[in-house]
Amino acid sequence: MDVGEKDKYELEKRNDNSLNYQASGMSSAWQFGGSNLTSTPMSLVSSDNPLVIGSSSASASMGDSFCSNLWEHPSNSQNLGFCDINVQNGASSSNATGIGRGGPASVRGSIDRPFEMGWNASSSMLKGGIFLPNASGVLPSSLSQLPTDSAFIERAAKFSSFNGGNFSDIVNPFGIPEAMGVYARGVGLMQGPQDVYTISGIKSISGVESQRSKLITTEASRDLPAENRATQESPLKNERNGGSLVRSNEEAKQGNGGSGNESNEAESSGGAGGHEPSALDGTAGESSAKILSSKKRKRSVQEAEVDQAKGSQSPVEATKDGAENQQKVDQNQTTMVNKTTAKHGKQGSQASDLPKEEYIHVRARRGQATNSHSLAERVRREKISERMKFLQDLVPGCNKVTGKAVMLDEIINYVQSLQRQVEFLSMKLATVNPRVDCNIEGLLAKDIIQSRAGPSTLGFSPDLSVGYPPLHPSQPGLGPGGFPVMENNADIIRRTLSSHFTPMTGGFKEPNQLSNAWEDELHNVVQMNYGTSTASDSQEVNGSQPSGHTKVEL
Amino acid sequence: MRSPFSLKQEFLKKWILGLQRCRSSKKNMSIFERKKVIKLSADVAMASARKGTTCWSRALIADAVKEGNADKHLAEKILGPASERQPTKKVPVGAMAYNKRIRSKKILKRSSVIRRTIKCAPQAARPSSIVKTLVGKRRQILRSLIPGGEFMNGVSLIEETLDYIISLRAQVDVMRSLASASKLVNLN
Repeated sequence: MDVGEKDKYELEKRNDNSLNYQASGMSSAWQFGGSNLTSTPMSLVSSDNPLVIGSSSASASMGDSFCSNLWEHPSNSQNLGFCDINVQNGASSSNATGIGRGGPASVRGSIDRPFEMGWNASSSMLKGGIFLPNASGVLPSSLSQLPTDSAFIERAAKFSSFNGGNFSDIVNPFGIPEAMGVYARGVGLMQGPQDVYTISGIKSISGVESQRSKLITTEASRDLPAENRATQESPLKNERNGGSLVRSNEEAKQGNGGSGNESNEAESSGGAGGHEPSALDGTAGESSAKILSSKKRKRSVQEAEVDQAKGSQSPVEATKDGAENQQKVDQNQTTMVNKTTAKHGKQGSQASDLPKEEYIHVRARRGQATNSHSLAERVRREKISERMKFLQDLVPGCNKVTGKAVMLDEIINYVQSLQRQVEFLSMKLATVNPRVDCNIEGLLAKDIIQSRAGPSTLGFSPDLSVGYPPLHPSQPGLGPGGFPVMENNADIIRRTLSSHFTPMTGGFKEPNQLSNAWEDELHNVVQMNYGTSTASDSQEVNGSQPSGHTKVEL
Repeated sequence: MRSPFSLKQEFLKKWILGLQRCRSSKKNMSIFERKKVIKLSADVAMASARKGTTCWSRALIADAVKEGNADKHLAEKILGPASERQPTKKVPVGAMAYNKRIRSKKILKRSSVIRRTIKCAPQAARPSSIVKTLVGKRRQILRSLIPGGEFMNGVSLIEETLDYIISLRAQVDVMRSLASASKLVNLN
């Protein structure tokens, strides 16, 4: 169940995204809120969904029912997003906000179940815009037209009994679209481009709800935890969404079995969807998305169906195919398929384990313009967000930062500081050495003659070791403890360096050979400062470690 | 991905060679001249360590040897005779055309933005456009930091930044250890 819960979590996250997106579509007046999940009772959602997706009353009721559930998973960024959406109806008051937040989580929970059962229509519609990567797999399968609101209410009530996390799990990408429809309002803050998703509107919500009723019975428990995990894992920020969703998807995949597949895929799609939102943030300003109406959802639904068909055929990653299959099963909401296929395309480009395709197979997300420009724009944004993630790992202190602007700030500061360091160090070197190349001579004057033999002979340990003793006195600061390791490193370095340099020495004149020797020595010196970290590198480079070790004892 | 260890090796090797080549006849080089030589040779060495695969490295070397540069002769000396220079065949016509295209696009964008801002100021209040301008401004700053950054579009800018950061880090590490080592040597 844990795994299932995780899946649900992811689903919920995705659902959140979809909800957010759809919510914005629901009513432009709704403002996307942000971040905290307020659990809204599921019952509220269900009852409201069929009635009025965009209506504030719905959000209010939903919020109440879900509040209890969602509070437990505050970390779900996605849930939060949804909550905000719901809450933020133009007319919504603080209550609504609470409801909105709660709503998504709980709605998701209920939604996921139905989604897994086979809802396609609503979920696909909801998710179409946001979770293209994620939703496509999960949503279509689970979503089916919600037959009755009462059934949904019952499910919502059931979900409310689950802990909040479950709800999030249930939210699986398909669930999210439904929730999105309900909570469409909240999305705004999460991501600018999410406006597109808000399109889902009423129709999707009702569809979602019906599906939920179906799914609630089976998937609820599993979905909820998964979604909770998923939502919790994925940071609210766009940049993180994709990454976390992918991770959560992977987790979901591992955890869930059977119906878990759907949730897994939903999660993966959620993960991909996360990417999408992050990518979308870059594009932002897509106010046109808000304009999208239920009509688009219908269209997207149809597209989703088409996509599903195509998806299975396309040589996409295996996971994608699986997701697509599931989608087809549930094909009620083609939009979800759109999302999944889009997700697949994105998954291909994502940093997941899936193999890369030669070209990105991208489909228009639900509610998005399908002209080539916007598609290319989306692909471009996804690429950018992917690279930004790499930068996050590289730049220290960027892990907690979310948002492109702040991260770019950090990167700029880091680059500037590095450049200043280079200036300062070059000035320092200039002061230390009276001549430009004097430092080299000063360092290696004594050792050159001794070490010259070293570089010219590959792996000639005795020569290398001879070079060591002269170095030692010059580096008292290194400490006795560091020497054995450093000697090892130095030996290895010398050997590797000599192996590097001997090809070069052929064409070099005498001074160059000297410089090679100097470089070796300098490398040794440098390596000494690097410590064990470099030792591992050098050891990897040079396999003759034992000899190095033996030298230490000399 | 190239290992940082080999990158440092490469950089150090090239740097020392460059310094050797720059051995000035006058013995009393001022400290600033020395610093300039050291820094220039280090930058050029780091750029050439990339062997012309990245845009910033090519731009850096091109900047160093361009006509208007005061230290052009120095850079050329460091780089060595033309025969030894790294081939930069990727750069030529395509890049120039690309750069021109980008510049013209930017001019167009700027003019249209000015028109737009005059007409519809309230639109700036929308969160998405605010984010866009925030990000765009920072992108401009980043472009000014990275050598040759004006010619890169969004995706390649980030990639070049990645590579540039790695190279800078390696450069700083090598220089720092060299400085500390020479300090130790001088103490003895």
